[in-house]
Amino acid sequence: MPEPMSDRMRVLIAEDHYLVREGTRRLLEDTGEVVVVAAVGTADELLDAVHRFRPDAVIADIRMPPDHHTEGITAAHAIRAAHPGIGVVVLSQHANEQYAFALFQHGTDGLAYLLKERIGELEELLRALREVAVGRSVIDPRIVEVLVGSLTRTTDAPLSHLTRRELDVLRHMAQGKNNRSIAESLSLSESTIEKHVNSTFAKLGLAEETQLHRRVTAVLTYLRYGPEPAP
Amino acid sequence: MLYREKRSSDTCPMAVENARGMRVLAVCGGLGLLYAVALGVWLTPSRMLPWALGAVVPCYLAGLSLCWKAPGHPVARRVLAAGAWAALGLVVRFTVALLGPLADWVPGPTTSWPLLLLVRTIDVVAAVMIGRLLALLPDGGERYAHERVALRSLWLLVAAPLVLMAVPMPLWLRLRLLVQPEAWMPAVGAGLLLVRSMLDARRPGAQSARWWRTVAAVAFALFAARGSMRLFRMWQGDSGPAYFIGCALGALPYVLISLGLVYVGFRHRLPGLDFTARRSTVYGLLWIIIGGWYLGMVTALGLTASQYLPISTAVLVTVSATMLCQPLRRQANRLAARRVFGARPSNFELLVQFGTTLEHAYDLTLLAPQLAVSLQEWLDLRWVHVELGTLGPERLPFATGTAGVVPDGADSSRTRVGLCYGDDALGFIEYGPKDEGRFTPEDRDLVETLARQAALAVHNARLNAELSIRIEEVQRQASELNASRTRIVQAQDTERRRIERQLHDGIQQELVALVAKLRLARNQLCRNGDTVYTTLTELQDDAYRVIDGLRELAHGIHPPVLTDQGLAAAVMSRARRLPIPVTVEIEPSVRPARFTPGIEEAAFFLVSEALTNVLKHARAGRVMVRIGRAGGSLLLDVSDDGIGLHSTTGPGSGLTGMRDRIEAVGGELSIISRPGDGTTLRARITETRREPTDA
Repeated sequence: MPEPMSDRMRVLIAEDHYLVREGTRRLLEDTGEVVVVAAVGTADELLDAVHRFRPDAVIADIRMPPDHHTEGITAAHAIRAAHPGIGVVVLSQHANEQYAFALFQHGTDGLAYLLKERIGELEELLRALREVAVGRSVIDPRIVEVLVGSLTRTTDAPLSHLTRRELDVLRHMAQGKNNRSIAESLSLSESTIEKHVNSTFAKLGLAEETQLHRRVTAVLTYLRYGPEPAP
Repeated sequence: MLYREKRSSDTCPMAVENARGMRVLAVCGGLGLLYAVALGVWLTPSRMLPWALGAVVPCYLAGLSLCWKAPGHPVARRVLAAGAWAALGLVVRFTVALLGPLADWVPGPTTSWPLLLLVRTIDVVAAVMIGRLLALLPDGGERYAHERVALRSLWLLVAAPLVLMAVPMPLWLRLRLLVQPEAWMPAVGAGLLLVRSMLDARRPGAQSARWWRTVAAVAFALFAARGSMRLFRMWQGDSGPAYFIGCALGALPYVLISLGLVYVGFRHRLPGLDFTARRSTVYGLLWIIIGGWYLGMVTALGLTASQYLPISTAVLVTVSATMLCQPLRRQANRLAARRVFGARPSNFELLVQFGTTLEHAYDLTLLAPQLAVSLQEWLDLRWVHVELGTLGPERLPFATGTAGVVPDGADSSRTRVGLCYGDDALGFIEYGPKDEGRFTPEDRDLVETLARQAALAVHNARLNAELSIRIEEVQRQASELNASRTRIVQAQDTERRRIERQLHDGIQQELVALVAKLRLARNQLCRNGDTVYTTLTELQDDAYRVIDGLRELAHGIHPPVLTDQGLAAAVMSRARRLPIPVTVEIEPSVRPARFTPGIEEAAFFLVSEALTNVLKHARAGRVMVRIGRAGGSLLLDVSDDGIGLHSTTGPGSGLTGMRDRIEAVGGELSIISRPGDGTTLRARITETRREPTDA
């Protein structure tokens, strides 16, 4: 049943913890930008609700009953396979890149990996929901930090020859941001950002990607496997 | 060399003189005997021939053989002297017989008196010599005062024939009395020996005295009987059966003394006699003495028969008697053989006997010499060398045994029989040639059978040894297991206390602080102040910090990525967080593989602990983590280029903990480290995989 207010994003929440689930719902609805069409507690209920409500985006906890492992990731893949138009934001308590890689193993489109505490930063959450709803992707800055950190720690590390500004741009690219939002975040002009993006790609030896989602994939692959080609 | 001369008697001039005297005696006696026997056989069929063959020949041969072995020994000298003297007596007698006047054993009335006196005196001297010989056995020295007196006074009897000649009496009585000293002298000697051995038995340290006492008693009885017989013969006349019995008994002391001395001297060593002789030599001597006596007796029988029967019948009787008495001689020889060689067990008996020893022979060090000595004795081998087991790096039993003297260097006459069990060579038996005789196929079979049995024994001993090694190992493992179990439990307790401390002193305190700050925000809100926004922002940041702390703690208790995504993801994630470059090489097949939780946890714990150690202690520039698999095992390898472990300090508790964890899942850990050259931890865990679950 279509909502009359079509400019508000229709979101579905899957979270097994009652307080978190209701808190998130209240926060999101409080913004007035989002309509929470349903809030469920298990992965099965989530898939069922997605089928019934066809939301614009889904917020899914990574750990859900029955096993409390990575049901959120499995559900996200199922949703993306069945409904490519629906974006999924996976909220995770693991600040561990391996889970992000698991989520992005079939591609980054329409998927976001955020740490759970981002609920407190409502703007970030809303942005992620909007991005995945249009098929783009978002990665939590903490995860990007771990990836970039492991490649910059020593003098002979692959990212050690990037300038500080270029590293900042890389971080934002990895988070899934487009040039405009990078420019906003860093308070720079979009053309400056474009210049930095080009020089970064050149230094890393990557082919320049105009398509945003391909750019994210390329950057993530680089951060995951380093300068060597992916196995 | 057939015997070993241990005593160097040649160096003493006295002994040299003695030896020369002995040689003269031997030659004279031998020539005399040859002369007498030749005369007796070819010229005058005399009734003295049995005496010559049955008594003088044995005595002479015994003396000759004993002197040949021990020229300096008084007993040997006395026997030879007695034999030679008796031979001299024979020479005189036969010469007289050849010349005519002394026709027979008991001289007739026509005999000239000086000749009779000479013959009788020689006889008495011979008898005294035999008496002295007997009385002074076994060492030949005078030991008691009464002996000296008695034996010296015996020499007075030499004058007896002269006295008897001088005293007027009937001729027949004189002739009878003339033979008496000779007849009783062996009995006198045996009697003195009996007294001496009884006295000896009272002295300390005379173990053989009792044996000698028995010998002396038997000899005394026999020789007294002989003397009585002579007395009886004196009255009864000297012909027919009486002659034969007298002849047999008359020769008896000489034969018995000769046989006894040869046997005792060669086999059991008289005091002061120190030599060894081949058993066959002893047996040969005994055989000759028995043969001579037998010949003498048969001759006597023939002569007796010829008194009553025509010559042809007498010959027939004699031949028949010879054949009939042959078993007697054979028995005597067999007895001698048994005494000399001992009861020889059959090969079968040997095998059974040795097999019984082998069954219980787990101690090869006892078995090896036993086998060597037994083989040498049974087969009369010059030497035997036995090696049981093989020397190797393992702690397996090994023993050698040698009997006899193994010649140095390569000797063509050595034979080696290997001990084999299945394909295993378990030692060998090596032996030299036989002392005498050829090595028969039966002997060869015996050695080979013993070799097989010995191989079995070695095999058993090996199994036994291996078993005890295993048991030791198991016991060691059990105690090690106990210790590691205790350590693991202790480590768990320590870990629980650490978590409890972090929860109470860390996170709970931070939450309390959050509560306090929330109260502050409420107060600020009530006062409608503008500061509440800042406080709330702070609160949010504080809450993030609590979440971070909690995440760290949870990760420390158990990394969720290990459970959710497996070993490879967990190791890569751990490596990425290390502040030094870590190269992780994981075999492609390991990446998606899921192992049992125990193995995954042990493996991750190892890598994680190793990386922590590298960070803390190694001062390393690079670390390399390799995970692969080979032969059903998971291989983990963490190596750094740091300062290495100090060999002076033993493995720290951290390393022990890692080893415990790895061994708890049936793996093994090795640490390769040299100071200044980095450290490599290498673990091997037998894989147990579980079905991959979708992550």
